[in-house]
Amino acid sequence: MSRQNTRLDVKKVNSELFTLTYGAIVSQLMKDYENVEDVNKQLDRMGYNIGVRMVEDFLARTNAGRCYDLRETADKIQYAFKMYLGITPALTNWSAAGDEFSLTFDTNPLTEFVELPDNYQNLKYSNILCGALRGSCEMVQMDVSCWFVQDQLKGDLATELRIKFNKRLEDAIPAGED
Amino acid sequence: MTIYNIYIFDRMGTILYQTNWNRLKQSGMSSEEEAKLMYGMLFSIKSFVSKISPLDPKRGFLCYKTSKYALHYYESLTGVKFILNTDITIKNVRDLLHQLYKEIYVEYVVKNTECEMGQPIESELFKLKLDQFIKQHMKSLQ
Amino acid sequence: MNPIQISNMRQKTSILDKSISKGKGEINMNCFALMFSELVQYCQGKAHTVNELQMRLSDLGQEVGTKLIDLHFLREKNSKREIKLLNMLLFIKSTFWKSFFGREADKLEHSNDDDSTYYIIEKEPLVNKFISVPKDKGNLNCAVFVGGIIEGILNSSGFNAKVTAHWHKGTTYMVKFEDHIITRDKQMDER
Repeated sequence: MSRQNTRLDVKKVNSELFTLTYGAIVSQLMKDYENVEDVNKQLDRMGYNIGVRMVEDFLARTNAGRCYDLRETADKIQYAFKMYLGITPALTNWSAAGDEFSLTFDTNPLTEFVELPDNYQNLKYSNILCGALRGSCEMVQMDVSCWFVQDQLKGDLATELRIKFNKRLEDAIPAGED
Repeated sequence: MTIYNIYIFDRMGTILYQTNWNRLKQSGMSSEEEAKLMYGMLFSIKSFVSKISPLDPKRGFLCYKTSKYALHYYESLTGVKFILNTDITIKNVRDLLHQLYKEIYVEYVVKNTECEMGQPIESELFKLKLDQFIKQHMKSLQ
Repeated sequence: MNPIQISNMRQKTSILDKSISKGKGEINMNCFALMFSELVQYCQGKAHTVNELQMRLSDLGQEVGTKLIDLHFLREKNSKREIKLLNMLLFIKSTFWKSFFGREADKLEHSNDDDSTYYIIEKEPLVNKFISVPKDKGNLNCAVFVGGIIEGILNSSGFNAKVTAHWHKGTTYMVKFEDHIITRDKQMDER
């Protein structure tokens, strides 16, 4: 076994190493897939895989309790961004029904040093974030949809990520019962 | 004090791991069958317990006790279920299970690429750490 | 010549207009480790052999290394590029490692029986934090990604070398320089 002990303290790593490693992933995907849509999908999938694990770390570390409405969840998501990426997105544009809101970023560590070529305007460069949010919400029994409404990489003033609550997920029913 | 055995299920009811320590009498069925019945029983107990609760049940089902053993139930917010069967003298098993989730499951399953999420846990590292954890607690709580 | 149509110009500010950050930003290690695991798993899906997987990881590392070193020199206006091989290695082991991995690498050694081979040793590479290698891929060391970073730095600084990662005293990065680099370095000593 190659791994011995995992210490429980939160260590930090240089954000540029992170930014450039993510950049290398995206550019590798651009080489491997012909279709930009497939790259977007793959980034979302990677994010999902990260999200389902990261939420466990988040809960274990913060001893967070269950959320009783989406506003509480939004606060937790905001805190998670602070904890994992060192940025605090603003919570904005709540829908009247309270089932949709936006995370608005003025900086995004994933896109530092990034310029999107004109012919890649369909690339959702930071799509990994959507996947991560979807994955982590799913683990706490929330089915959400997540997409970018604005992106600084495409000339918008801010980067805005929209989250919509779809439904609560229930535990699986045991086999052989209805 | 004695810990007899553990079951870990995920949200989808998949048995992730089960093992015995000091279990003298076996149930006489295959471990798959036993796990399936365990999940079914918990599902029913949980839903009935909250149904008949006179107040908001909050955390819901925690444990049951017989004259010989007690079953303790802990569920993480992500729906991972830990079931520990112990003797009836042992206290604060909830804290123990919370610690087990935090220090063993999260550290050696979640943060271990060898373990696929939602699949039975095969990792030797996890098995070792869980065994150490349980044995250490059996000793310290004596 | 057509007049420039201002209205058609993109309002997007070019990345070159932004000033370069101080590079002190930090993110949670678990976040990096999880992303790296995904990177490894993606590469594994594309590779047929352990060797191919290592090559993919090394290639990605090289891309990152080349950019990291650019960034370092762009920021540290006063630093000069090392022209002596040993100084270059020491720079990587200390200054570079510290700014990007948070601490210096554990050791730098010169091979006893091969002039052109050096070893950089690190007990617990950051990237291997969440990776445990299945038994059937025993000799795979995902820190070959970091090996790629070193290789990227060396190659873009005029020290052509091949870097591999091995399970030895934790992780040992084996740096093998091309012969002409060694010859050049010796010639410099003679002067």
